[in-house]
Amino acid sequence: MQADQLLFWVFAPISVGSGIAMLFQRNAVHAALFLIVNFFTLAVFYLLLSAPFLFVVQIIVYAGAIMVLFLFVIMLLGVDRDESLVERLRAQRPLAIALGLAMVVEMIVAIRAGIGFATKGPANFDEAANQGGNVEALSRVLFREYFFPFEVTSILLIIAAIAAMVLAQRRSAADAEDEEVVA
Amino acid sequence: MLDTIWLVPALPFAGAAINLFAGRRLGRLAGWLGVLVVAASFGLSLWLFADLVALPGDERLAVQHVFDWIEVGSFSANVNLRVDPLSMTMLLVVTGIASLIHVYSIGYMEADPRFGRFFAYMNLFVGFMVILVLADNFLLLYVGWEGVGLCSYLLIGFWHERVRAANAAKKAFITTRIGDTLMLIGIVLIFLRLGSLDFGKVLTGSITQTQPSGVFTVISLLLLCGAIGKSAQIPLHVWLPDAMEGPTPVSALIHAATMVTAGVYLVARTHVFFGASGVALTVVLIVGLVTALYAATAALGQDDIKRVLAYSTISQLGFMFFALGLRHYGAAIFLLVTHAFYKALMFLGAGSVMHGLHGESDMRKMGGLRKWMPITSATFVIGVLSISGVPPFSGFFSKDQILNAANHTEHTIAWLVSLVAAFVSALYIARLVFMTFFGESRVEREPHESPPVMTVPLILLAVGATVAGLLSVDAVTGRLPTFLQPVFGEVAEPVHGLPEAVLTTISVGVALAGILVGWFVWGSGRVDWMALATRFGELKRFLASGWYVDASYARTLVPAGRLVAGFLSSGIDRRVIDGSVNAIGALVQRLAAVGRRVQTGLVRNYALGLLIGAVVLFAYVGARL
Amino acid sequence: MNVPVAHFLVVAVMLFAIGSVGVLVRRNALVIFMSIELQLNAVNLALVAFSRMHGRLDGQVLAFFSMVVAAAEVVVGLAIIVVVYRRRRSADVDDVSLLRW
Repeated sequence: MQADQLLFWVFAPISVGSGIAMLFQRNAVHAALFLIVNFFTLAVFYLLLSAPFLFVVQIIVYAGAIMVLFLFVIMLLGVDRDESLVERLRAQRPLAIALGLAMVVEMIVAIRAGIGFATKGPANFDEAANQGGNVEALSRVLFREYFFPFEVTSILLIIAAIAAMVLAQRRSAADAEDEEVVA
Repeated sequence: MLDTIWLVPALPFAGAAINLFAGRRLGRLAGWLGVLVVAASFGLSLWLFADLVALPGDERLAVQHVFDWIEVGSFSANVNLRVDPLSMTMLLVVTGIASLIHVYSIGYMEADPRFGRFFAYMNLFVGFMVILVLADNFLLLYVGWEGVGLCSYLLIGFWHERVRAANAAKKAFITTRIGDTLMLIGIVLIFLRLGSLDFGKVLTGSITQTQPSGVFTVISLLLLCGAIGKSAQIPLHVWLPDAMEGPTPVSALIHAATMVTAGVYLVARTHVFFGASGVALTVVLIVGLVTALYAATAALGQDDIKRVLAYSTISQLGFMFFALGLRHYGAAIFLLVTHAFYKALMFLGAGSVMHGLHGESDMRKMGGLRKWMPITSATFVIGVLSISGVPPFSGFFSKDQILNAANHTEHTIAWLVSLVAAFVSALYIARLVFMTFFGESRVEREPHESPPVMTVPLILLAVGATVAGLLSVDAVTGRLPTFLQPVFGEVAEPVHGLPEAVLTTISVGVALAGILVGWFVWGSGRVDWMALATRFGELKRFLASGWYVDASYARTLVPAGRLVAGFLSSGIDRRVIDGSVNAIGALVQRLAAVGRRVQTGLVRNYALGLLIGAVVLFAYVGARL
Repeated sequence: MNVPVAHFLVVAVMLFAIGSVGVLVRRNALVIFMSIELQLNAVNLALVAFSRMHGRLDGQVLAFFSMVVAAAEVVVGLAIIVVVYRRRRSADVDDVSLLRW
């Protein structure tokens, strides 16, 4: 067995397992932690798929920034209280699980019919696509074909930051009194 | 000539439209506008007449196609106007008499707040009546038929604040509706059996060979029902006396000279159908004769001057139908023309009397009006002499021809009955004139003569009533019968019966006898007719109520009708029709009540929906791989 | 590489399904949000796998953009959750059901 095969077959169960585990956690912080584990496994997968840049970005951005932000908010709001297990909507749970299973089965059938379980992809990926290293190759594609989307996403980030500031700012005392009425 | 036929109805319609929308602003001008459009129609009719007689005898026919109306498959009914001798005669009568009555109305209706609207309705009526007589197919004729019925309703109930007027209008409309519906069935039958509604195609001499005579009997009888309703013959006559609630010009125009003659025109126009069916003609004859006698007796018992004239109209129309039943169509039309003159004259005269007496119409409160209203009296007397059949006035010629025709066609009993009816006719009209204009005065206030705008039409009509006899001095060779030959064919020379001179003497004698008796009882002062009226009170009530026909209808037909109407309105209209519409609404509501439960407001439910959709979509796409 | 691409795709699909179920089943707004993030990541994995399969970098670029946008989205989404929590003192998603019939 090759190294990448070994890595895959070790981390794939961890990935799926941590995902399922996240579902079962009643405490939000625990769920966040399991999600972080999942992100790490995904990072490994990127590495296996000859995308080292994404491997790093996944860890730094997703696991390191986004999940931390999540945890900040959870702690800030104090919503780590355990969620009750009682499901008020009947049939929601069974239906959801059934649909999830149906989706998985459908997709596996589609994958089998589409590309089959054998294709592996070109062996010369590193020489052909990742010329000069993944980062350089990526930058070549990014700043040429995808230049415009690149600029747009930068604007998007600015807008997101401003939006967050506007949304979450505390009002003056007078406005806060009006807000209290609703709750 | 052809291109301008459409103007004859169009002008009155335009006048009606203007007066309806701007009548109030026009004030007095509305009346003169109404007069103008009808007079213009009359002028145009005269011009068309001149053009018509310029053509040789058997080519006197002009049809103008005004516009396409209905063309569906094999059925076509377009707005085509037909000018031939019969419609020309009717047209001249309608527009001529209408013009005079419009002028008269300016004086009669001057104080009315709805002055403009009156003329709008009158113009509208004239427009529809013209359509009726000029129509070249049965459907257009029916449009005119219904239109004049509508205007009659509007005008009878013109003073709609008065309950009696409103009721009378309703009664007129509903009663004629019965006849109209049967007539419509007849028209449908005409199309089904004869394939077309155009006069040119259907009223030919050869049409009678194409179908068994039973078909024509049925069609004729159905059309006759419409005529009976519109011309107030038994049994649908009950609306005409009550229609006197309307203003007197309305009574003169619609219920004497024009609309009620539409029935006579219809039978005359479709004489081919009636001729093909002996049964139908017999029915016409009997209906006409019985009505003539019945209405004459009823007129004898009336105290209201207008009601006498109303019953008189019914009676005279009966004579016209009698003539039609004897196949003397030309004579019937001749009576129609002379009757238009002298009946309109007498109605307008009655209106003048009422105007002078500030609204009084009970003859027991009149008398001796001769000295205050000379013009009215003189013209009225001419009308009386005319209707009685005294020569040389026009009524003599027209009535004489009909009575003689009865004798010539060997309907001896009918002839004798018609003589009795003629006697009673002279009697009741003599009673009217003596009670009103002669003898001692029983008036409560001193009356005044009417203004010239009212008396001039009276004079003109009196002239017409006098000289109209010249139209048909002889039944076979007179101007009118020969003019109408293209439509009715030649009038046969009399073969059977008593010689002309004898018959004429008898009929004149009958008329003079009637007038004499009338003078003796009501005019000479020798008989206390007021005491007579009280002593024969029962008989008088019987006659005055029209032999209790109205009362019997009220006890039998009206409750039955109300029952049916109630069933239809609350049973069917409310429960079935409204119910089904409401049920649809309720169904939608219930469906919505069920449907809106999808909107739970819970995001998770919506997400579930999303996911279901997604899964289904994946399955579909996957299955196609 | 010795692992067939399909294997990665199957993992991605499973993660996506888990994320969907999480959205439907959990009531805490933040956990729902985390499930959505899981779905996004599953998609990223699929993108990169396909990129590897076709021998081009476009999939990786797309995954990169997806991450950026996800980051922005998380920022805004969390801000909204904060605001809602301040009003209602609850992060339970079933409580925000005013738009029902």
